Amino acid sequence: MSKRDKDGTSNRRDFLKLAGLGTVAGGAALVSGVKPAKADGLRADGSQGYRETEHVKTYYKLARF
Amino acid sequence: MAETADAAEQIIDESERLRANVYALLARFLARPPDQATLAEAAGWAGDDTDFGKAVSRLAKSAAGADPKTVKEEYEALFIGIGRGELLPYGSYYLTGFLNEKPLARVRQSLRELGVERDPANKDPEDHIAALLDVMVGLILGTFRGGADLAAQKQFFDDHIEPWADYFFKDLEKAKTADLFKALGSVGRAFMAIENTAFEMA
Repeated sequence: MSKRDKDGTSNRRDFLKLAGLGTVAGGAALVSGVKPAKADGLRADGSQGYRETEHVKTYYKLARF
Repeated sequence: MAETADAAEQIIDESERLRANVYALLARFLARPPDQATLAEAAGWAGDDTDFGKAVSRLAKSAAGADPKTVKEEYEALFIGIGRGELLPYGSYYLTGFLNEKPLARVRQSLRELGVERDPANKDPEDHIAALLDVMVGLILGTFRGGADLAAQKQFFDDHIEPWADYFFKDLEKAKTADLFKALGSVGRAFMAIENTAFEMA
């Protein structure tokens, strides 16, 4: 990794940490409230819910020309 | 390595997780009327001195004093109404003045390229603000194929959110039927500004 890349990444991380995003976390509570997809691909957080499906991927792969 | 990488095991930096949290919270308030549990959770937030933190404090204060029934009425007046709410939180509307326009087609195309299908139980067009915020959660946490790719997040953000989200959140801040949602608008605006700046550092 070049020095420039490394500095760019740590600037982003530092910026995000200083931006106050943790104020909605309240410790571990909210982080654990955002879960990766369950095994069936449906999201657990109760919002709109996207999923990735095999048949969809296949369809769009075949449709490409 | 014998097994394929499991998205759930991918190591996501803490600062990126915090972004996902904020997208999820905004989506939760905008996808449907926030319930008692959501309001109770929000009431516990203590913002710091940043623009974002101050907006969060205002939202927490609103949530602490909020009655879920009143908030539901507020949500419905803002977004549902009779035929339409005070606001139309759709990319197509903000970008063209009409619903179900090319911006929606572009979102659908992006979702296809990401290999993502919408939950068929949801009837709302995919350019609804909550839907777009929801996609960002998935992109940040790497729940879609391709893992947690910052370039893909920036692409999706630049294509489908950045062009209009700030205008929407500004409208929310000023909406006649808004009360608690004014504070949510402020949180959204502050967060969009953070995202814009942070993507430049990607």
